[in-house]
Amino acid sequence: MDVSQYLEIFLDETKEHLQNLNTQILELEQDSENMDTVNEIFRAAHSLKGMAGTMGYKRMQNLTHDMENVFSEVRNGNIKVQPNMIDILFQCLDALEGYLANIQESSDEGTDDNEPLIKALNDILNGNAGADAPKKKEAADAGEEKAEKADKKEAASDSKEKWQSIKLTDTEKALFEKAKEEGQHFYGITVYVQESCILKAARAFLVFKALEEKGEIVLSNPSTQDIEDEKFDFDFSVIVVTAESYDNVVAAIKSVSEIEDAFGRELTEADFGNSAEAEAEEEPAKEEVKPAAEAKKPETKELPAKAGDKKPAAKPVVNRTVRVDIEKLDVLMNLVSELIIAKNSLVSSTSGEDTHNSNFNEQIEYLESVTTNLHESVMKVRMVPIESVVSKFPRMIRDMQKSLGKKMELHMTGEETELDRTVVDEIGDPLMHLLRNAADHGLESGEVRVQRGKPEVGNIYLDAYQDGNNVVIEVRDDGNGIDVAKVRDKAIQRGTITAEQAENMSDKEIVDLLFLPSFSTKEQVSEISGRGVGLDVVKSKIEALSGEVEVKTKLGEGSTWIVRLPLTLAIIQALMVIVGDEKYAISLGSIQTIEDISPSDIKLVQNKEVIQLRGTVIPIIRLSDVVDATSSKSPEDNMVVVIVKKGDRLAGLVVDELIGQQEIVIKSLGKYISKCKFISGATILGDGEVALILDANALI
Amino acid sequence: MDELRVATELDTTQYIVIKIGEESYGINIAFVDNIVRMQHITRVPKVAPYLKGVINLRGIVVPVMSLRLKMGLEDDVITKATRIIILKLETQGTIGIIVDEVREVITLDSEHIEKVAQDSNKSNEHVNFVSAVGKTGDELVSLLDLNTVTLETE
Repeated sequence: MDVSQYLEIFLDETKEHLQNLNTQILELEQDSENMDTVNEIFRAAHSLKGMAGTMGYKRMQNLTHDMENVFSEVRNGNIKVQPNMIDILFQCLDALEGYLANIQESSDEGTDDNEPLIKALNDILNGNAGADAPKKKEAADAGEEKAEKADKKEAASDSKEKWQSIKLTDTEKALFEKAKEEGQHFYGITVYVQESCILKAARAFLVFKALEEKGEIVLSNPSTQDIEDEKFDFDFSVIVVTAESYDNVVAAIKSVSEIEDAFGRELTEADFGNSAEAEAEEEPAKEEVKPAAEAKKPETKELPAKAGDKKPAAKPVVNRTVRVDIEKLDVLMNLVSELIIAKNSLVSSTSGEDTHNSNFNEQIEYLESVTTNLHESVMKVRMVPIESVVSKFPRMIRDMQKSLGKKMELHMTGEETELDRTVVDEIGDPLMHLLRNAADHGLESGEVRVQRGKPEVGNIYLDAYQDGNNVVIEVRDDGNGIDVAKVRDKAIQRGTITAEQAENMSDKEIVDLLFLPSFSTKEQVSEISGRGVGLDVVKSKIEALSGEVEVKTKLGEGSTWIVRLPLTLAIIQALMVIVGDEKYAISLGSIQTIEDISPSDIKLVQNKEVIQLRGTVIPIIRLSDVVDATSSKSPEDNMVVVIVKKGDRLAGLVVDELIGQQEIVIKSLGKYISKCKFISGATILGDGEVALILDANALI
Repeated sequence: MDELRVATELDTTQYIVIKIGEESYGINIAFVDNIVRMQHITRVPKVAPYLKGVINLRGIVVPVMSLRLKMGLEDDVITKATRIIILKLETQGTIGIIVDEVREVITLDSEHIEKVAQDSNKSNEHVNFVSAVGKTGDELVSLLDLNTVTLETE
């Protein structure tokens, strides 16, 4: 059956199930007695298994099958939920995500069997979950150590059976013992490729594949990586463990074309040397299976990494979705834009004349309400709740809690807040950075917290809410806050600012230095954060989405990172102004107030014009100078000053006249005119004229 | 009818003949999207002087340049005959050029087109905008090299 057409649905649904599992298992950890949760998990695991089976992903199916077994036992009350069981389950979810990533890349699940996990699951089933949580790192280390005490078999390297030169370690020995118990065979085989063969690596790959169908490849010489890169002559050697007979295995190898020959035999105990310690390790032998399987991991993991920045095309959406081609939406969006322009032109054509005809006005009002509604509903089609992004954070915090050794809790509100899909897809990484920062840099360790009279468990809050035309996402912690003095010292030490500059900078400005590239104050670089890539990336990413980020902090009490994102990118509310004889639009989002200023109020500071407004000194920018226009006003007249805000900085833009507020459709100026930095686009007015949109942020 | 037959038989190209001052220029019709009357152009600040600004072409914002200024001639005098020719180019996208007058569409076969050597010394700069000269009857039409014309220069 050709299932490729279902691949997309499979991917989407699997992601939904995995996300669901993540959430439910987290819940299970909190409340291990909740049968509803267990049932939900069981159902999700069961559907996963079924889907993976239908699509022919055997490894995925095996893993989910074992997970399902565990849940089934939990559901029947035969097994109690234990912390390390939760750990294993999370690792299983990670492994499943790994499969999923592979499938998304190449529609193949990859070759990782995840045996340690399956074994751990079975151990849980067998009731000895206590001690056997796979300790990946330790096991791998142990494996390496032992590999060094390798046996010598060089003597045989001249013969055709080159595999004898493969160094067999205790790890393999242990495997061998286990295999023997299970009635499997160990074969050492050297495969010769025909010298005329052009694609040696491809042939070798086919051999590997053939062997993997029969059993498992324990070792190869050269390494699989080298073989893949064609770093071998015309032969390579493998050690295989399989239940099949030797003849069958060799036949499988020879069935691959352009394979000259294969030599080998079954390994006996003698091949493993007779080191004393090997004898003594009969008991823990079982455990040693892991390193070997583990050792395979890096190779399989590397493949997706090599494929470059693979990015899931679509984030999982947890609710029921309607899939709509985004291009169709764009078309719809453009139509609405046109409609709004038409409406504007109707409005402007009536405003000048006498408006006796009330029926006509009614019609216009009606049209206006229709276009507004249409606009809103089209926007809504593009909106998805940020839940699809933030729902992975509890799990992340949970993992970090373990890796950092700090106790912390994540409180989230407003997950249902909706944002444009393009924004939602991009916002995940910046938020993750901020949360990691809060967990790593922000929160103090438990002891310090207790000393300071705070509860031992640190709190991180993620609040999302809509604020006018913006969506605000706040990441807040009750940790240490940012030490301004430390940042200042660091900045001076790094030469980012001079000592004199530092003197004149406000705390706020100092804190903003954190957003500069490669600036990290944490002395110890940890795995979680602090490699100097972070806040600057967060900032640029958010700005690319036309949003902004700022931080408020109080030493000892914590920091709040505020991310402000526009609801929509295509239609904005703007203030129309006149400069000279030209019309310009300024986004309403950046405007604070509009002031009437007498020319005598202008003071000069460092040769720049400023005004004082309610105690704040605000630099003013004469737009007529900026756009090379001649102001229509005489210098003695009072000036209309539009106060705009970028972050905490204010500036006053001097305009000649105000027209009013208007909903405008943003149009691109095209690539031909791109040099003008402070023009962010154009819009078409009701009379068909084009007005330019001033980017207040670029002016400040 | 005669013309039609010629057009199908020979390797021919159609050109729109425009006037800048007294000279006639030909623009390959394949790149012409549209010809519109002169309309209000919104000036864009801080761009090259020959870029006059942008216009609204049925909901799309299109940049407009002055062919005269680009060629180093004096600024356009807008008359009733002034037109904006909207070109669709592969690299530059959609762009409008202002011309004094649009006269006719001519069909030239390859025999009547003569390539001109590129002037290596740039003393007479606007000559380089011309890629070939076409003969129609006893008139000569300079054929514009649109890529050079619309190339961004400071």
